[in-house]
Amino acid sequence: MPSYDHYVILGNGPAGNNAASFLRENDKDAKITIISDENIPFYYKPGLTRYITGDLSASELIVESLPNYREKNIRLRLGQIVDKIDPEQKIVFLRHKEKVHYTKLVIASGSRARVLPSMRGYAQCLKHITTYNEVLEFKDQIQAANDFFIFGGDLVGFKFIKMLGKMGKKVTLLIYPNAFWPFILTHEMQATIVSNLEKRGSEIIVGDDIHTIIEKENAYMVKTVKGMEKKVDMVFSFNGLIPTVEFAKGSGLDIDHGILVNETMQTNLPDIYACGSCAQIYNPVINSYTTSIGWPNAVVQGEVTAMNLLGDHKVIESVGRKYFDLEGVRIKTTWWEDIEESSSI
Amino acid sequence: MKDINLVIEICGSAGEGTISAGEILSRFMSAQGYEIMSFDSYPAEIRGFGKCVAHTRISSDPIYSPGKLADVLIALNDIHSISQLSALKNKGILIYDSQPARPHEEDKSVLGWVDPGVISYGIPLTMLAQRAAGSARGRNMVGLGAIAAIFHMDKDGFTASIENRYAKKKKIVIDSNVNSFLEGFEWAGKHIEKIDSFSFEGVTMPLQKEKLIINGNQLVARAALDANLKFYAGYPITPATKIMEILSKELPGHGGTLLQTEDEIAAIGAVVGAGFGGIRAMTATSGPGFALMTEFTGLSVMAEVPAVIINSQRGGPSTGIPTKTEQSDFNAALSGGTGDCPRVVLAPTDTFSCYQATVLALYLAEKYQTLVVVLLDFFLSNSIRNIDIPEKPSESLLNANIAPLPEELENYQRYKITETGISPRAIPGTPGGIFFSTGLEHDEYGRPNYSDKGHLKMTEKRYKKYAGVLTEAPIPQISEFEGEMADIGVISWGSSAGAAREAVMLARKEGIKASSFSSMMLSPFPEKELIDFSDKCKKILVPELNYGGQFANFATHIIKRPLERLNFITGRPMASEDILEKMREM
Repeated sequence: MPSYDHYVILGNGPAGNNAASFLRENDKDAKITIISDENIPFYYKPGLTRYITGDLSASELIVESLPNYREKNIRLRLGQIVDKIDPEQKIVFLRHKEKVHYTKLVIASGSRARVLPSMRGYAQCLKHITTYNEVLEFKDQIQAANDFFIFGGDLVGFKFIKMLGKMGKKVTLLIYPNAFWPFILTHEMQATIVSNLEKRGSEIIVGDDIHTIIEKENAYMVKTVKGMEKKVDMVFSFNGLIPTVEFAKGSGLDIDHGILVNETMQTNLPDIYACGSCAQIYNPVINSYTTSIGWPNAVVQGEVTAMNLLGDHKVIESVGRKYFDLEGVRIKTTWWEDIEESSSI
Repeated sequence: MKDINLVIEICGSAGEGTISAGEILSRFMSAQGYEIMSFDSYPAEIRGFGKCVAHTRISSDPIYSPGKLADVLIALNDIHSISQLSALKNKGILIYDSQPARPHEEDKSVLGWVDPGVISYGIPLTMLAQRAAGSARGRNMVGLGAIAAIFHMDKDGFTASIENRYAKKKKIVIDSNVNSFLEGFEWAGKHIEKIDSFSFEGVTMPLQKEKLIINGNQLVARAALDANLKFYAGYPITPATKIMEILSKELPGHGGTLLQTEDEIAAIGAVVGAGFGGIRAMTATSGPGFALMTEFTGLSVMAEVPAVIINSQRGGPSTGIPTKTEQSDFNAALSGGTGDCPRVVLAPTDTFSCYQATVLALYLAEKYQTLVVVLLDFFLSNSIRNIDIPEKPSESLLNANIAPLPEELENYQRYKITETGISPRAIPGTPGGIFFSTGLEHDEYGRPNYSDKGHLKMTEKRYKKYAGVLTEAPIPQISEFEGEMADIGVISWGSSAGAAREAVMLARKEGIKASSFSSMMLSPFPEKELIDFSDKCKKILVPELNYGGQFANFATHIIKRPLERLNFITGRPMASEDILEKMREM
């Protein structure tokens, strides 16, 4: 019997795309729509730092080109913002005033840079490396700049610092132990990281905080609480990621940081699933919900979500790299195991 | 000074002011000193539904074709604009209504279909129009206001163009349009974060002498009046109706008469009658009407009576596609009808030459006592250009009848055999100038004569006129590749000639050795010039807007060599981009 389902997938990252591909392979007749606020086809986000250095071209970042979607008969809506969802009527409302009806909804909206509450007043001065468009905006500026001020840390941040070092740029890092939010660095981990970074020529500030950032003549004057002043060309913030789920608030979905799902990626509402870094998945071992990061995890979650949408009862398992090397420190980041036990290796 | 070369399309439903907005944009840009070429497409139905598109190309350099793809699309109607997205450039700009009165149902929003790369600016068109004028009807002006702000256009100049457009309307109409424009301008200036790089800021075009903003149909009517037209008979038909509409107002003031007949057969009959009576007469029609006229066209040729038919081509055959452009009446114009029927056929190649062709047609018809067909098309009839005001025709072009000398009237031979094929023509009422005139084959006096020798003699006489006509034909437009032999020669006619010329210019910039040839005179055709041109080109390309390659077939017989064809029947005018692409492949 042909299926007349309309699978609507919010998010054009690894989780959403993998879900879409699996659904298409196993349900030839269904209508599949991917909606993304980014105006670029599915791209390899971890490659953004290499794109900045020029090691990867824009086209090499692209994972799935537009003709592939047409071939798979997947409707790709790019640059379209979801305003809200109405689970009762099964409608996704888009900001440009269009209603999209679904029979089954997959939320794979990913995450965005976390701006610390204390830094919101300086949001205009801060740069992040979370999306292609952000990077596109300041890629040339990075090439021309010499002095960088980075506060926070996190995996992408340390990757970026490493890249700047290779480019011969001067880096000052104000390290935040909780930059890995929701993970927190221990004192021992932080000391190892600081030592390794200093050996590479970066200036590291510990135990201080930003007091003010003032934009002046194409440069920024950063002043810390302890009175240190630095004039730099660019200021970056790397303080972890937060799930992009604002549009789901008020819909009746259970949301903590991310959208809460069970082990089969299903939310508390019928026919709505969530996967990837926007989801918090129930972990029966710790009897709590945890967020996952990383491309491989998102891929598997997308696939498991699709299987369950098609009637399976597949329980998610951890995949991908469990450990990240961070300036000599191995950090376990997978969500599936006890965080406290794995917080230092 | 930076170059401006921009195509703006406005897409809406019939009755939404799409065409008016396009017209205002064109007039404003012309007043700013830019070259403009605009072209509207609209449904065959009169009003109330159907898709309308106002397409305007604006350039700081001369324009030869309307441009295939748009840089900017203003979507007044989402449903219609969805299908127009395919005509928007990959990195084009979409202006859409961000706050429609009701949310769009799925897949009914234009923004839902844009490709990545397109820059979309959401403007609350309906809401701002409501605020400015209490009605959504001003959405077109809000859209213009928005692009004026986004592209840094002269606000005051634009406002003046709107006021001029509605000058004859009540103040409330002018105010509501201007206020809607200003709402769009202010809102976009305040809320739109510009991410495109296009701007008119800092561009000042040199002052130009007064320009006419006019389309082909208007120029035909103007030329006819300037060329001493005294009688027009016609039956309305798209896309030629506007000619009749203008003449119905203007011709009586010029001492002429306009007659709306019951059909096209009657119209051409009346024209031939008026021509027989000695005054300049013409009709304007399109394919279906032209088909009906063929019997009388034969009479005009056989009886050697001046007659001019303007045939503005549209998609055919039969009723066809009334509001789409095509060049598929070439064969009908040159050969339609029965018998050996030599006639003159002219095809203007751009808006300006519509004037020249009409003046020339009335002149040649009168002097050579024959049928002259002027082939326009929907695009030429309706596309608007800003052109220099044409010079009025000289006296010699206004009185072309070769009258008999007094001694010739003593034994008057209306169809006297002469070197040129032109027999002195006595206008009825001329003392001594009595003659027979009939559709039957005849002798020098006009008396029926069916002898083989007589028929041959008279047929040769009628064909002899061709030589004279050719000496008075406009010189073909040839753009030769200088120096060596061209790799590609593009031969074109009618409204495709501009696109061909532009394509050749673009091809040369890419290093392709290319030349172009077009002739306004199609019958008789300047064959020697075409052969000479062909001899200087390695390959020949003929682009035209018909399926069968009517002109290409014709040209093959002249140049006697194979040629490449490029044929479209999309209903859209020929695009230089398509010709260029074909040239790259060759």
